[in-house]
Amino acid sequence: MASLTSLLPRRHDEDVVPDGARLPVLPALRGLLPGGLQCGTVVAVGHWGLLCLAVAAGASAAGAWCAAVGLPQLGVAAAAGAGLDPGRLLLIPDPGPGWPQVVASLIDGCELVLLRPPGRPSAQVRTRLAATLRRRGGVLVVAGGWDGAQARLLVVRQEWAGIGTGHGRLRARRVQVAADGRGAAARLRTRWLWLPGPDGSVGAVDQITASGQDMRDTG
Amino acid sequence: MTAAGDLPERVLVVRCPGRPAVGREPGAAGGEAAPGSGEVWDTGPGAPEFGQVVSVVEGFCPRVEVLHPGACAIGARGPARYFGGEGALAAKIIEAVAGGGFACQVGIADGLFAAFLAAEHAQRPRDTRRAQPGAVMRVPPGRTRAFLAPLPVSVLDSPDLTDLLPRLGIRTLGEFASLPAAEVANRFGTPGVVAHRLARGLGRRPLAPRPPSADLSVGQEFDPPVRLAEPVVFAAKALAERMHNGLAASGLACVRVQVQVVWGNGQEITRLWRHDGLLSALAVAERVRWQLASCQASQAPPTADGNQTAVRIPVPIGTGERTTDDYPGGITMLRLIPDQLVRDHGRQLGLWGDAVVSDRVARAAVRVQAMLGHGAVTRPVPAGGRSPAEQVTLVPFGDTNDRVPSPGGAGNPGRTGGAAGQGRTGGPGDPDRAARPWPGRIPAPFPASVYPAPLPAKIADESGVTVAVSGRGLVSAPPARMSADGAPWLAVTAWTGPWPVTERWWHPRTACRRARFQLVTEDGAAWLVAVQDGGWLIEARYD
Repeated sequence: MASLTSLLPRRHDEDVVPDGARLPVLPALRGLLPGGLQCGTVVAVGHWGLLCLAVAAGASAAGAWCAAVGLPQLGVAAAAGAGLDPGRLLLIPDPGPGWPQVVASLIDGCELVLLRPPGRPSAQVRTRLAATLRRRGGVLVVAGGWDGAQARLLVVRQEWAGIGTGHGRLRARRVQVAADGRGAAARLRTRWLWLPGPDGSVGAVDQITASGQDMRDTG
Repeated sequence: MTAAGDLPERVLVVRCPGRPAVGREPGAAGGEAAPGSGEVWDTGPGAPEFGQVVSVVEGFCPRVEVLHPGACAIGARGPARYFGGEGALAAKIIEAVAGGGFACQVGIADGLFAAFLAAEHAQRPRDTRRAQPGAVMRVPPGRTRAFLAPLPVSVLDSPDLTDLLPRLGIRTLGEFASLPAAEVANRFGTPGVVAHRLARGLGRRPLAPRPPSADLSVGQEFDPPVRLAEPVVFAAKALAERMHNGLAASGLACVRVQVQVVWGNGQEITRLWRHDGLLSALAVAERVRWQLASCQASQAPPTADGNQTAVRIPVPIGTGERTTDDYPGGITMLRLIPDQLVRDHGRQLGLWGDAVVSDRVARAAVRVQAMLGHGAVTRPVPAGGRSPAEQVTLVPFGDTNDRVPSPGGAGNPGRTGGAAGQGRTGGPGDPDRAARPWPGRIPAPFPASVYPAPLPAKIADESGVTVAVSGRGLVSAPPARMSADGAPWLAVTAWTGPWPVTERWWHPRTACRRARFQLVTEDGAAWLVAVQDGGWLIEARYD
């Protein structure tokens, strides 16, 4: 028996996740993140908002566990609307000063960790978390800036629909999202999305109708 | 009627109809009845007081049947033999019960019915002025029928018979007992047969004593008191193993486990933890650690009478350094009490249960809980409500949603302040609440950011005057500018509202009367704001 087990490939903690393993993303985001989220990397989303939830939603809907660190204001109803499964969501609203350790522990257990760092993380913290990510194959979605992120997404323009001056209500938002990154993903791509759509979900906007609209630049 | 000839077993009934004999009234010290009041005993003791009497009687015979608060019965045969006769047993019981401050009457007879009546008749020494601590009436074996014969039929606990028999000319139990059993069965049916058996001094049924319940709780006392958390947590692991072994030996599992910690100054912290038969001994010990840490967090300033000379020894609990020395006297006892015992059927997981937590996730969550505390890792559970903040309740990882910690409740971990914020007004985590219609709730799409505590805001009209909403729901002027939480002013490009809501007006603490608006500012952000008592609040942000 001992000789048999010794022949089996042994898995070390230092094993690096095979290059190319990816978590799926929502169909509407495939143009921005071709192939999905590459495991073991960091995705930086400019600001905390619905876009962060949309990036995480595809993986969660496909069965991944998701943890949200430092986000006491995360709207669970909006997350569910975007496609994120609240049943596989852990919330750590207040990670305290030891947040890098908390994130590292969560990467061990969850495929995807949503993080809003309390401050600008130091280079040492980033290097350590990047090593943990590579080892465990998780994806870290950061709300805010993160040097060395594999992909970066940013809302460039947005316009709300359905609301007037004193009448109507918020029904949907059209946004233009820009994405760039490193390596094969370095080329800047932009897409128009419904974020959220009328039913709270995330969808792609037909290019022709979008270009005909007068969109304000929101920087 | 196979057992018609069998005499029932000897039964001893202790009746305790009186108040405690001592301290009944100032003039009656020493058991003297107040002159003129023929009745010494009036109202019976309450159930908790009678529990003391029962425990005294349990000292003579562990198998006690409590008939009702105020009367209990034991089988007399064995104890009487041990204590040297029925009279001696009765005297000893009266003495012991009187030692607890109660007066009692003891009746001994064949069968429960006769013994109860004997006890009742033992309390009627109307001719004496002295209130005895107790009285005995002993009916010798085989003489029960003769004892019962002169009693009226009204002592039978059957309203139909006690009403009917006197009208048939049958006034005493003796007359009733002399009727043929077959005729009684024909005329009066089953209740008549039972009453007839009782009147003849036979048993209605054998005694049904309760077996003493097994004590499955485990505890350990610390002498000298322990000032550090580590030894207590270590002891908790051994205790939990003992508790699990005890439960397993009985084939039981507990739904919850109660952890009780007693400090040297008498302070006691008790908390219930979900168990479901799933926790290992180590996991139970971990919960004891959280409980100690949370007690400390909530009790940071030491009490005024604390011993100032005590050396404060730092103890590593989780990541921070804390001491148990905030409690004068240290920890003297730890006790684990299994709560809600159920038969251990093992556990069946759902075949495709997507919400089943994998070991890997549970390990990570428990590790973070060890760092930050039990309440720091939460899972969202849908809850009913109109505002976005009320639609979700956060439940600590490892708990199920039927036990949502009450905000600010005793024994709540200190760190749940932010975690419990979203569910603060949501009430109990009733899963049905989410499915119910909530007329007037904020419609979809839902906001991406829901602030646990609403942010203050300023909203002004064109002339810079704060926008107000009248009691009839009229806006003073269209909102033109908004400043969120001290940020610079932004022009409002679109708005809608007001959506007035008055919730829980009957509850002074959670009552809520506000008017909500949706706003879009010039930077493209969309907000859910509300005006309450003239002030503006930001409840949520959509983008």
